[in-house]
Amino acid sequence: MSDVLHPRPSPIIAAMYTLRDLDADVIVMHGPPGCGFTASRLLEEAGVTVITTGMQENDLIFGAENRLVEVLKRVDLEFSPRIVGVVGTCASMIIGENLEAAIKKAGIRSIVLPIDIHACSGPNTVGAIKVLEVAMSKGIIPREEFERQKEMLMRATALERERGMTSKPYLKPHRGVTKLKVARMILDALSQSKNVAVVLNAKKETAYRFADVMRAVEYARRRIGGSAVYVANVDPNIGLPRIRRYSADILRDLKDEGITIDFFSGGLDEYPVAGEKAAKYLEDKSIDLRIICGLPHAIPDLKKEDILVTDQPRELRNFIDSGFAYAVGEISTHSMLMGARGIVHSELGDTIRELVDGINK
Amino acid sequence: MKQIAIYGKGGIGKSTISANIAAAFAEKGLNTWYIGCDPKADGSMTLLGGRKIGTFLERLRSSTDTTEPAYVLGFKGVKCIETGGPIAGVGCAGRGIIVAVQELYKRYFNDDIDVIIYDVPGDVVCGGFAAPLREKFANEVYIVTSGEYLSLYAANNIARGLENLKVNLGGLVCNSRDIKNEERIVDKFAEMIGSGMIGFIPRNPIVRECENRGMTVIEGFPNSTQANAYRRLAESILKNDTLVVPKPVDPEEIRVLLRENE
Repeated sequence: MSDVLHPRPSPIIAAMYTLRDLDADVIVMHGPPGCGFTASRLLEEAGVTVITTGMQENDLIFGAENRLVEVLKRVDLEFSPRIVGVVGTCASMIIGENLEAAIKKAGIRSIVLPIDIHACSGPNTVGAIKVLEVAMSKGIIPREEFERQKEMLMRATALERERGMTSKPYLKPHRGVTKLKVARMILDALSQSKNVAVVLNAKKETAYRFADVMRAVEYARRRIGGSAVYVANVDPNIGLPRIRRYSADILRDLKDEGITIDFFSGGLDEYPVAGEKAAKYLEDKSIDLRIICGLPHAIPDLKKEDILVTDQPRELRNFIDSGFAYAVGEISTHSMLMGARGIVHSELGDTIRELVDGINK
Repeated sequence: MKQIAIYGKGGIGKSTISANIAAAFAEKGLNTWYIGCDPKADGSMTLLGGRKIGTFLERLRSSTDTTEPAYVLGFKGVKCIETGGPIAGVGCAGRGIIVAVQELYKRYFNDDIDVIIYDVPGDVVCGGFAAPLREKFANEVYIVTSGEYLSLYAANNIARGLENLKVNLGGLVCNSRDIKNEERIVDKFAEMIGSGMIGFIPRNPIVRECENRGMTVIEGFPNSTQANAYRRLAESILKNDTLVVPKPVDPEEIRVLLRENE
């Protein structure tokens, strides 16, 4: 990790997202006002209230325990939350602020999870694991679920190191190839009655957008022919309650379009292992074209002719530089999905639809 | 302007030495500032008749008024400041020292000052505690030690810090604990790290007596041999131009030195 130079998410941000997945109502960032600012805005879009204790220089010197106690009391008064996460930041954790002590002093009615984490703690997943550990200690999740999640997060870290965004020292952002080029490939295959597989191997809420590629392919298939196999990690019985809801939402919307998933490769938090299962399932299916959406690098046997759909510009650079000429970017996917409760249109999906409608005209 | 920082093991007598040399400088008519960097804020008491003063950081925290003087005038006009800091177990004393030293330099220090003495807490344990060593702040350092293993060990550690930061050591001050061959031990150790012993302060019960009365020895017993020892040290520091970045030794070499002088 130490030789990775490009910006990457911190354990603080991962902790915030995991608290959201646990349906925390309020997250208190114990630190300076700007810490986690961008993520906080997104999380507020998703309905989580994010508060800062707004530490200043004097608080670094004298400690800010009282500030945190007062903020927690106000949070209790104004929001009456059920679950509150108190997330440490570099500023508060490096000077040794005692989150537990402040929470005890505040004495509020909510379940409060103190998360001792800062950005120098290691990979982002460390923050997520810390939250789950605290949640287990407070009885919010059972030990088995904690162990499963921890295993997944560690696999995710390993995957990123091996083939993902921390596999190279620096990745210059890339926006991917044009949607038109890739949409034509898909339509060509279908019009030649070929067998297309759409694999959704997405992480949490990003599935709301990547699932749209399935809808678009089905839309095209019904109009111009061909066949399609759908594989997705949207098992609604796996994961934290919020994540299960995402899967249920997606399955509902797919069902409305008459789409049935042929193979469930896992839950939405299982993308590091679901990719392997998906690839194995497709092995003997004589597939002519594979479209892999979400985190394609989790598929162990990626082929140069596969169509890879992802959202991160650095992920795209990684694919393009590795010779995957059909890597398409659904840029800014994450930011448009906060608060979503159904499948959201994708650029590739819309391009496919437009081309199909053009052909039909 | 001479800007010196006094380091050494906790409890070795840094504050007593700092206050007495500040008094010695002041009675020579030098414009002298004493900066106590310990959050306990007790170093300046002997320059102020036993009075504990409000701290600089507390003032920064509660007031934005930059016109009021930062210091309290002590013995013979020594300008006394206690940086202050957090209570035990909270916040970050190191950060406090950084902020206080930066603010003092920015707002109050000028060319009219002859000597600034930073009385620094204990060892150089973090970047904050090392702040007075940085460029612009102290330009020479004195380490107080006795002939005992642990204070020499701490002195060696401080030398390591100075080597890291490429800061000059002015010399070692031996604050005697009445150890056998103590002067020789400290002198030899100073040589081992590439420096020298700049002063020897004998052990004398009048030091405690003066502290109990809230004054320096220079104020309490101005004609005593002890007061003269502090004056000699102050004079040596003023004239000292032998400044070197020290070379710490393997702590085992300190043990060998002590065994040879048992």
